[in-house]
Amino acid sequence: MKKLDLEELLFKVEKPARYIGNEINAVKKDLKDVNVRVGFTFPDVYEVGMSHVGMHILYYVLNKQKDIYCERIFAPWTDMEACLREKNMDMFTLETHSPIKDMDFVAVTLQYELSYSNILNILNLGKIPIKSEDRKEEDPFVFAGGPCAYNPEPLADIVDIFVLGEGEEVLLEMMDSYKKWKGTGKTKKDFLESIAHIGGVYIPSFYDVKYNDDHTIKEFEPKKEAYPKVITKRIIENMDEVEYPDKVVVPFIDIVHNRAIVEIFRGCIRGCRFCQAGMIYRPMRQKSAKTITESAKKIIEATGYEELSLSSLSTSDHCEIEGIVRGLMDEYGDKKVGLSLPSLRLDAFPIEIIEQIQKVRKTGLTFAPEAGTQRLRDVINKGITEEDLIGVVKNAFELGWTTIKLYFMIGLPTETYEDLDGIADLAGKVIDAYYSIPREKREKGLNVTVSVSSFVPKAFTPFQWHPQDTIEQFREKQSYLKEKLRNKNIKYSYHDNKTSFLEAVFARGDRRTTDVLIKAWEKGCKFDGWGQFFEYDKWMEAFDECNIDPHFYVNRKREYDEVFPWDFINVGVTKKFLEREDRKARDEELTLNCRVKCAGCGINQGLIGGECECLK
Amino acid sequence: MFKIRMKFTKKGYMVFISHLDLARMIERTLRRANIPLAFSQGFNPHPKISFATALSLGVSSDGEYIDIEIEEKIDIDEFERRVTEQLPEGVEIIQCMYIDKKSQSLTSIVEYSTYIVKCNVENDVTEDVIRKKIEEFLGNEEIMIYKTVKKRNKIKNKEINIRPMIKELGLIDKNDLTCIFKMTVATGEQGNLKPDVLMQKVNELTILSIVSESIRIQRLDLYAVKNNQLVTPIDISASL
Repeated sequence: MKKLDLEELLFKVEKPARYIGNEINAVKKDLKDVNVRVGFTFPDVYEVGMSHVGMHILYYVLNKQKDIYCERIFAPWTDMEACLREKNMDMFTLETHSPIKDMDFVAVTLQYELSYSNILNILNLGKIPIKSEDRKEEDPFVFAGGPCAYNPEPLADIVDIFVLGEGEEVLLEMMDSYKKWKGTGKTKKDFLESIAHIGGVYIPSFYDVKYNDDHTIKEFEPKKEAYPKVITKRIIENMDEVEYPDKVVVPFIDIVHNRAIVEIFRGCIRGCRFCQAGMIYRPMRQKSAKTITESAKKIIEATGYEELSLSSLSTSDHCEIEGIVRGLMDEYGDKKVGLSLPSLRLDAFPIEIIEQIQKVRKTGLTFAPEAGTQRLRDVINKGITEEDLIGVVKNAFELGWTTIKLYFMIGLPTETYEDLDGIADLAGKVIDAYYSIPREKREKGLNVTVSVSSFVPKAFTPFQWHPQDTIEQFREKQSYLKEKLRNKNIKYSYHDNKTSFLEAVFARGDRRTTDVLIKAWEKGCKFDGWGQFFEYDKWMEAFDECNIDPHFYVNRKREYDEVFPWDFINVGVTKKFLEREDRKARDEELTLNCRVKCAGCGINQGLIGGECECLK
Repeated sequence: MFKIRMKFTKKGYMVFISHLDLARMIERTLRRANIPLAFSQGFNPHPKISFATALSLGVSSDGEYIDIEIEEKIDIDEFERRVTEQLPEGVEIIQCMYIDKKSQSLTSIVEYSTYIVKCNVENDVTEDVIRKKIEEFLGNEEIMIYKTVKKRNKIKNKEINIRPMIKELGLIDKNDLTCIFKMTVATGEQGNLKPDVLMQKVNELTILSIVSESIRIQRLDLYAVKNNQLVTPIDISASL
């Protein structure tokens, strides 16, 4: 796009800086020196996409290659979309403001199901046909990865290439094959053939699905014997050797997570049974304290950020976390660089350290008991007890905190109204803990937020066989809780369960849901994760017109022998293990965390050899 | 404690970042440049950087000013070199200098801005007619605008006479339907007139039919008043 044309648009839209690029550390390359162009696409608005650390990692890894230019693409806000459509201008990249169809690859990260309609919208705005089969030889390849790629099937007709698992290595392997193919005059299909054997690569058009009369899957077969029957996810084995970006793009505008982020480990030892991340990112692999501190130093120097955040699924589970945190505080306290520790299990971390971090400005503490009763917490294997929670909370009140957030889920398997009562009881006990402290020893203004989300069963979890509650059930439970949580100290918030319903369709959907997605997008659906844009009725019309019953995917209980759309993927954790965990859930039996005892999930038999790092 | 006054531009794509974004960007730039910033005391320490006045989104500028307080003195050329290295395209240092740490703040001294406003008009009128219209416009003793002010959640309509806020307004060039105006208007705490507001009023009271989407604004400089003369914040400090 010509600079002048873009500027005309920028004067018309809200937050024009979403589209200007040119931020600090944004990569500039001369297109003459570039052989492969990748448009890394985050199918949501700039402020959300820029907060995602995975994008920064892969942007850095790809751009380290001289002949590859990775540019960024975000979903344009509706005002910008209207401008583009009115002027018949193409969707563009941020770095060079090039039409996205000039890319060799449009690489999409799949972070949540409700962003799928935005992918279609971006392709369409870029004048790239939505279905793989409609794209021509001159169109870019569309490839996708990220957590939702573990059930890739709802996008099987749209995405040419899926990459399963961690991308740092496999992306470069794919790029090497691409460079060999490019310019040879061979067809796009030839390229796909040439990469089908690369570990972690899944080419959906190379596979056929057959269905039973009851609509479940009969078989999933490669079209040729040469194509792998099972696709195994990729992992980085040594986290101390993998590239980590220091020159991270620093946004001009405020974004969701506007801070330097240092990853401290991947995977999780906890094994909560509802949690997809806890399963698909196994095994746990830590970065050493040295690597983490060095990364922190480099990233702060290169970005000028005033805040640093340590990122992982459960920060307190890093073996050396206390030392790391103290070290960072010593180093950056004087420089006025703040530290934030998200995903911290407060029952497993000294609150005195948190106090030092937060110093005077106590921003509030967040706990995620997830369920209201010990029984249900045992079912989901959330090894946290009421005593743990109340103990820490009381301690926090004594130290001057007054704002507590509690996260729960409703609709978990085996849940009864007693468990909902448990949520209210627990919130009540938090309040009691506050008032049990003498008035002069506590700060004023207790504020307890109870945030309740609706459980969405996900692929590759022990709960993948379970039905989701119906919208009506959710609604009843939400209003029941609303009554129960009437208290001047409690703020109650809950999710829109219609979006959770749609999320559940695609979380366990198969290839037949692609048509619904396309139909809904044609009806104008986009930004489904944004309350103001979500149009449930249009989605229901789309299901209707495609003759697809969403309840089949959402509210149906599956048998253990059912073939799932994602069964051909090997995430390391076996289906047998997931089944065993589900049975244990029904028996309200806990599974210890990986560090205490190996649960035999299967990750160390195939993906990695020998024992998991966390046991060593 | 030392204080540096810096004059800089905001051009190109940088016109699309807000005042708040600019403040954040400057802080991070200074941090990357390893400038020994002075921080405020208290709950939430932040660097002592103060601006003259906010520039509206979409307006470019050749004359923005900030004062930066630092802990240890560094050579001013060294300061300029290090900061320049870290600044994004579109923001460029014009000048920086040490000023007395007790100098009056930028917000308290700045009273006027000079702007260039480019816009298209629908009716092709001659330059002479436009100049005459502007003269008539400025001949009014009162030019009233309505301003909605929010005070403690109450929305109030306030009537303001902007005539005293216009020091200078004139057509400096015209090419086909494109007109270029230059104006010097009140800016800052004592009174603030935005050029687009003034142009809208010009449009209402004359027959120019300005196409409002075509208006592009550039700030040339900021001024304090000393002995009835307009002087830039750099000059006022230099003359001390």
